[in-house]
Amino acid sequence: MPLLCIAGVIGVIILSLFFYLLNTARKKTAPVTNIMGKKEFTPVYVSIADKPDSIMLGMDRFVKEVQKTESAGDKWRWIPMLIFFVGVALVAVDGVLILFGYFSFIFTMGAFALWIAAFVMARSLRKSDSFDFSPRYKGTKEILHTLRDDLKPNATFLGHLDLTGALLPTKVAREAKDTQDRTTQYFRDEWLALKAKLYDGNVLRVSAIQKSKKRKSYTKRSRISGKYKTKPEKFKGTEHDIKVRIVVNPEVYKIVTNKEFRPGVNIGKYTISQLSTENGMVNVVASSPFDEVEQEQILNFLKSAYSLLQRKAA
Amino acid sequence: MSRKIIPFIVAFVLVCLVMVVAGAFAYSGAITAEKFGSNVIWETPYTSAESMNVIDFTGDGQDELFIQNTSDVTVYDGSGTLLWNFPYSSSKTTMSDINGDNVEDIIVFHSGSGSSVDTIINGQQSTLATSLAIGSPARIVFIRFSSGPQIVLGDTSGSLLSLTSSGQPTWESSFSNEEIRGMDDAKIGGQTYLAAASHDGSVAVFDAQGSIVWETEQEQLRRMRAFDLNADGNSEVITGGEFGAFFIYNAADGSVLFNTSLGQAVSEVREVELNGDPSSREIVVGGKDGGVWAFTFNGTTATQIWTGSLSDKVTEIAGIDIDGDGKEEAVLGDESGNVAVFTENGSRNNLSTHTSGIMRIDVGKLGNERYVVIADVNRIETHKVNFNSITGFQYTPLIVGLIVSAIILIIAAILASIPAKPEMKVSFQDKSKESLTAERRMLKESIADVERLRKSGEVTGDAYLARLKRLRGDLADNESAYKTAGFPIKVETFQCPNCGGTLELGMDKCEYCGQVILS
Repeated sequence: MPLLCIAGVIGVIILSLFFYLLNTARKKTAPVTNIMGKKEFTPVYVSIADKPDSIMLGMDRFVKEVQKTESAGDKWRWIPMLIFFVGVALVAVDGVLILFGYFSFIFTMGAFALWIAAFVMARSLRKSDSFDFSPRYKGTKEILHTLRDDLKPNATFLGHLDLTGALLPTKVAREAKDTQDRTTQYFRDEWLALKAKLYDGNVLRVSAIQKSKKRKSYTKRSRISGKYKTKPEKFKGTEHDIKVRIVVNPEVYKIVTNKEFRPGVNIGKYTISQLSTENGMVNVVASSPFDEVEQEQILNFLKSAYSLLQRKAA
Repeated sequence: MSRKIIPFIVAFVLVCLVMVVAGAFAYSGAITAEKFGSNVIWETPYTSAESMNVIDFTGDGQDELFIQNTSDVTVYDGSGTLLWNFPYSSSKTTMSDINGDNVEDIIVFHSGSGSSVDTIINGQQSTLATSLAIGSPARIVFIRFSSGPQIVLGDTSGSLLSLTSSGQPTWESSFSNEEIRGMDDAKIGGQTYLAAASHDGSVAVFDAQGSIVWETEQEQLRRMRAFDLNADGNSEVITGGEFGAFFIYNAADGSVLFNTSLGQAVSEVREVELNGDPSSREIVVGGKDGGVWAFTFNGTTATQIWTGSLSDKVTEIAGIDIDGDGKEEAVLGDESGNVAVFTENGSRNNLSTHTSGIMRIDVGKLGNERYVVIADVNRIETHKVNFNSITGFQYTPLIVGLIVSAIILIIAAILASIPAKPEMKVSFQDKSKESLTAERRMLKESIADVERLRKSGEVTGDAYLARLKRLRGDLADNESAYKTAGFPIKVETFQCPNCGGTLELGMDKCEYCGQVILS
């Protein structure tokens, strides 16, 4: 009976290994999700201080470089599976010997060594896999592409694109405790910051900020059984802010009021929460309760903010 | 170290490891492909054999097969032809040359006219003694004492009766109250004595006059045998208990040379020369629950060599050198009909299974061949046991090691060929002075922004420091870019000597690691 149990456990391990290697070969892995239940993307930080074309080319080149690493591993993905079958063949040699009445386990030992090697190789190949690039990566490129014709000649975009993750410990803006002594963390992820001197002499600053809230895991005592139970961390929600500042070129524009661009008005997915037009600057903050805002929403918001500017007569 | 070299270094270490293990297996002789098989040469029906022996009863130099059960004594010739058959009731037998003609004779202790003793000499049955003052037959042994041979009878109530070879009683003893379970000749100082044991655990050695040389008590016992395991002229008396006690006594004085508990009743004990070294003899012990143990005796004490098992109560053990290597293999049978060969190192090789329990196994030369004779409940089978091995199989670990090593090296080569993942932080930076100045201004604005957020309480703690560290790092990169391009720049940052974080000039304590900065 114990022998049967051991054989069963070994059988399950070998079967699991087979499917692990098969999925490695077919590149079929379960998508990794974060605590928000969303797909994980490649964590990348892009520092921007260049002309739009150079930035866009660089971003494309970077994607290709990542894909090159992945494709270099792809052509070997069937090798661990082949090694597994070599192991099976070795076990079969022992099987044939046993069939002929000779007891032998040495080939099976070799097979186990090969299966371990196959597993290690499959792990390494899987490690060379990359997550997909976040839609924000492509979206930022679209924003740069759209704004590039409005840029002052030879001027550069400045800022950063931070796609390393919204819930990193380094992005905890503050923490608060509730009456039950549970800690809630407030994250502030300024994932996009962009500054550009425009063709019309204005200076545009855009910041896209994702604010998230997460309750940390905690231990509580059950009122009925008296046992201590650990509750897992819980994602409590997210919202997006956009901050736009336009330093207006007084020679070209004057700032006017616009009924369609004032606090409380919805601009696409955003709702304007603060608006200031003092000192020759337009400062506007808007927020969105949606889980994600696309680049069209940001560009649309910038276009709407420009409705506060009226071109002076020549 | 280069990413291309590390996999090969790891692979080299693993290959060395694999080959060392493979070499150890190959040259230790642990890996063999051997099998034992058997062919039935002849068989004949026979019910519930109690005793069996392959021995020459006719003096023609050819062994015959003696077999006995509770109702008869039978002898077959080497080809299985019946030579003699004598009916007896409740008989016990022993074999020895009683008439001095150098041919083995059969002595039968049976319930005939009272308790009687018969002899069968060269097929001629004759009565030696009748109406003896002893109970139902339990054991009989022929002992060649220095004063002359004696036939010693043991009954089911623990009494012993000794007869001369002509059937005259010489001495008797009631040393126990239960069935005699073992009688054997034991040597003391080269002289022959009688070792006897009964079911109640009494063990004693008797001299030719029936006087007890020594006696001892132990747990109830099932088996007793005496062997001179180290050929020193003094036998060792070996007993196996009803509850697993295994003792080796010195036949000279009854001192315990070795004892252990085997955890199950001992059903059989035999001497088998497992290691081929005549200076030490091996004992194979069978248990009631199928346990098998091998011990070696070095003259002082015994050491367990290996353990194994059969499926049921071990009923018989015999030793035979099947593969002709000078070492005997132990052939064991159990109550379920399994017969297995155990080699020197304890590896088990099954022979064909019988449909009924194994009663007796003996080894001997019948005709021109050595056979293993197996008696089960219903019949006797004479087997020719054969041995096969694959030549050079001991070197297969090296072949397997080479295959594994080659695959490890292939894996290393593949992993080394995969380029490293690119750094997930990229920077697109225009090197013109205007661009660098604009970037610098932007960074300073951002730093000011972070400070403002901290003051307003929107960002605190680690997030503030992490953002500041990154911006200051970018500022330091910007300064480096200035210097690289050859533009004049007033340096405003420096690196913490402890954590490497970028700080603003003039700071006397690192905000990230707390290091006090003196310069």
